[in-house]
Amino acid sequence: MTESIVSVFRALIFIVIALALCGLIFSVAGYSAPDMFRAIIDGAFLRTGALQQALRWGLPLFITAAGVVISFRAGYFNIGAQGQFYIGAICAAFAADWLNGLPAFIVIPACFLAGMTGGALWAMWPGILRLRSGADEVITTLMGNFLAVIVLIYVTSGPLKDPTGSGQQASSRPLDAAYRISTSYGVSPTIIAIAVLVGIFMWLLVNRTAFGVLSGLAGRNATMVTWQGARLWNIGLASFIISGALAGLAGTVELMGPNGRLASGFLPAHGFTAILIALVANLSIVGTAIVALFFGGLASAALYLPVIAGLPSSAIDIINAAIALFITAKSNIVDRFLRNWRKRGWTT
Amino acid sequence: MSEEKQTVLECRDVGVRYGDVVALSGVSISFARGRIHAVVGQNGAGKTTFARAISGLVSPDTGEIRIDGRILPTGNVNQARQAGVELVHQSFALPPSFTVAEAMQFGAADGRIYSRRGLESRWQTYLDNLNVNVKAGQRIRDLPVETLQSVEIARALVSDARLLILDEPTAVLSPEGAQKLFERIRHLKDVGVTVIVILHKIREVLAIADTVAVLRGGMLVEGPVECSGINAEKLAELIIGPAARPLEDDQKAALTGSLDTAHAHLAQSVDQAAVEPVLKLTAVSTRPDSDGPPLEDIDLVIRPGEILGLAGVEGNGQRTLVRAISALAETSEGKITIEGLDVTRASLQTRRAAGLRVIPFERNVEGLSLTSALWENWSARELLQRPLLSMVRPTELRQRCGTALDAWEVHYSNVTQHAGSLSGGNAQKVILSREMDEQARLIIAAQPTRGLDIGATAFVWDSLNRARARGCAILLISSDLDEIMDICDRVVVMLSGRVVGTFTPPYDLADIGAAMTGVSK
Repeated sequence: MTESIVSVFRALIFIVIALALCGLIFSVAGYSAPDMFRAIIDGAFLRTGALQQALRWGLPLFITAAGVVISFRAGYFNIGAQGQFYIGAICAAFAADWLNGLPAFIVIPACFLAGMTGGALWAMWPGILRLRSGADEVITTLMGNFLAVIVLIYVTSGPLKDPTGSGQQASSRPLDAAYRISTSYGVSPTIIAIAVLVGIFMWLLVNRTAFGVLSGLAGRNATMVTWQGARLWNIGLASFIISGALAGLAGTVELMGPNGRLASGFLPAHGFTAILIALVANLSIVGTAIVALFFGGLASAALYLPVIAGLPSSAIDIINAAIALFITAKSNIVDRFLRNWRKRGWTT
Repeated sequence: MSEEKQTVLECRDVGVRYGDVVALSGVSISFARGRIHAVVGQNGAGKTTFARAISGLVSPDTGEIRIDGRILPTGNVNQARQAGVELVHQSFALPPSFTVAEAMQFGAADGRIYSRRGLESRWQTYLDNLNVNVKAGQRIRDLPVETLQSVEIARALVSDARLLILDEPTAVLSPEGAQKLFERIRHLKDVGVTVIVILHKIREVLAIADTVAVLRGGMLVEGPVECSGINAEKLAELIIGPAARPLEDDQKAALTGSLDTAHAHLAQSVDQAAVEPVLKLTAVSTRPDSDGPPLEDIDLVIRPGEILGLAGVEGNGQRTLVRAISALAETSEGKITIEGLDVTRASLQTRRAAGLRVIPFERNVEGLSLTSALWENWSARELLQRPLLSMVRPTELRQRCGTALDAWEVHYSNVTQHAGSLSGGNAQKVILSREMDEQARLIIAAQPTRGLDIGATAFVWDSLNRARARGCAILLISSDLDEIMDICDRVVVMLSGRVVGTFTPPYDLADIGAAMTGVSK
């Protein structure tokens, strides 16, 4: 218990330091730091509609991040969430295109099935390569990302091209409104329900199944579970497939919800933000939900930065990057600080 | 100690805590200059922590440490080094890719620039003076352990160490190597270096040390007392403490190192040829792999209630044999049966379901996941016998783990603590509690007492004997012939992947030794 409290504190300290640093940088660059903070807090949570926007960005991120948690816990660094997200969206778009005209209660589940299967398959081949021949999954999943971007460009400018498109950005024909699960505004009960279901199932999988305990052990020491009689093939491949399927699910949600169409190069940072979220949350599902909403809030705040603080909206990328930097740079100083704190009996 | 010898090191009320675990508490002790002091105790008694506190690697929470009467700022390796304190670690710390000369220079770091040849000749003289038989140009990774240790000690002496601390230096050495080390230590004493040596074999303490101090449960229970005034039995009692179960005579004898141990229980071993064997290997061969020589034509039978010892110089196929029995190395020819069930092609999961249990060679790699919680480590075997998606209740598992660990006398504070926070003996007990359950039929114990102190060693032997009394078949792999001859009902010797000899009691050390090295026949 104390372990997880400390890790949340640790993450919070890092985020505060990162924000302070950004404030410093922006004020040196001639912007107003207090305005920046106000824009972030307002834009993320306080303004009317801000919370909805936070959910709009946060829920798909949570779905992908939950998948990342599953593979990272098992010790496989599937950093291909972005590619699996794209392939999932592409497969769902194809399904919607082929089944166009059929009633929504058939098309929507079929799209979800197609999207999850697509994402799962896109994670499966690096998984098989890793487990069969030891090919580093970091390399193969990263390659998978690049491939998926190319496939997306091809699909949006070829098979699914919208002939009436503006030409600025290649995209598919918009989905029939009957097949959409939310408006362009972004949140709907369906999406919330999907995210909640994912949350419940993944929490159960991680915390209440033999798979959860064993994959956690395998992630920390694969040799040990092998000597206990585990087949890494089963645990490992299942982790890849689940994590890919969730990224594909998030892709489907984005396609059939807020986006409504497949656009070349849409949401290019989704998968990487999800990885960041999973790491900040220390690979816990509950933590992932909280952190995903926080990052959803930041994404929503990006819209307010230009209005309130006069900053370009891409400033939010700088803030994200600063947080990533601080979280990943396992600071000895902060860790020692927290350890001393604990040693003195600050927590029981 | 009110002797008029000069005190070189004085500790007052030193205490160290790691999180919730008290590693050392209220240790007040002083050591006289120019002598050899032994510090002994069971695993987890605080020996290594004590060494680390003195050498500045850990900072004590209470107390003070004085060198030559001056207070040593704690938790600072450089300060300790300047005061003349050097620690030689239990596991070696020299960079493997360095040459000997580079490693030595790394410790000295005088800021001057040398050519490769200049560096090597500089250190060659130094090493020669210390009687370290090594070429300064050799790479650390190419050195045998004995030489490596000598180099470690030589490196520690570079900076004019006046107090040298050796943490379990004999753990990695052969008996011969240990003799050489002891000569080296005596030589150091002659040139005026004070040596504190942490040991856990009583025989070695009495062979080398002038005084001995005993730690138990993080506290000083005795000493330093003159070794001339104490005998092995008394020392064993001090180390284990009054609470432990009394040692059987043969255990005590083996622990204190007298070779003529009685094989009391062997006389009663009935004729078991008629009993169906638990494990049977028929002409088993494996393909070559990176883990030592392949098995060739191994025939092996272990019957219920029997401990079969597997002796041999390390690296002669023992590892492959254990892996073949555990389905981790593929059997290319032959047949393996467990309890009459042909498992030649079966997975480890199936074999474990048939009653196979394995205490692996590498406790910290193959046996436990050090960064996972105790309860996770403990429940892994059981969870693997269920479908992957079956539901588990962690609270229930934690409770049962706690009960099991208590029953096995593991010292831990919480089942959610990491396995890596336990000492070697306690970690091994966690493995025992997992692998020696009631359903176990065949227990493969690979080096189960390596690196353990006498209390934990006796505990392991006791557990093996109890499992044997329950009717388990046990295969004990050990490089300690004393251990094998003491507790095994039968001994086979492996050489280059083959079984080259089978021995029954009374054992002849010379015969077994000859078989191990291949000079017989």
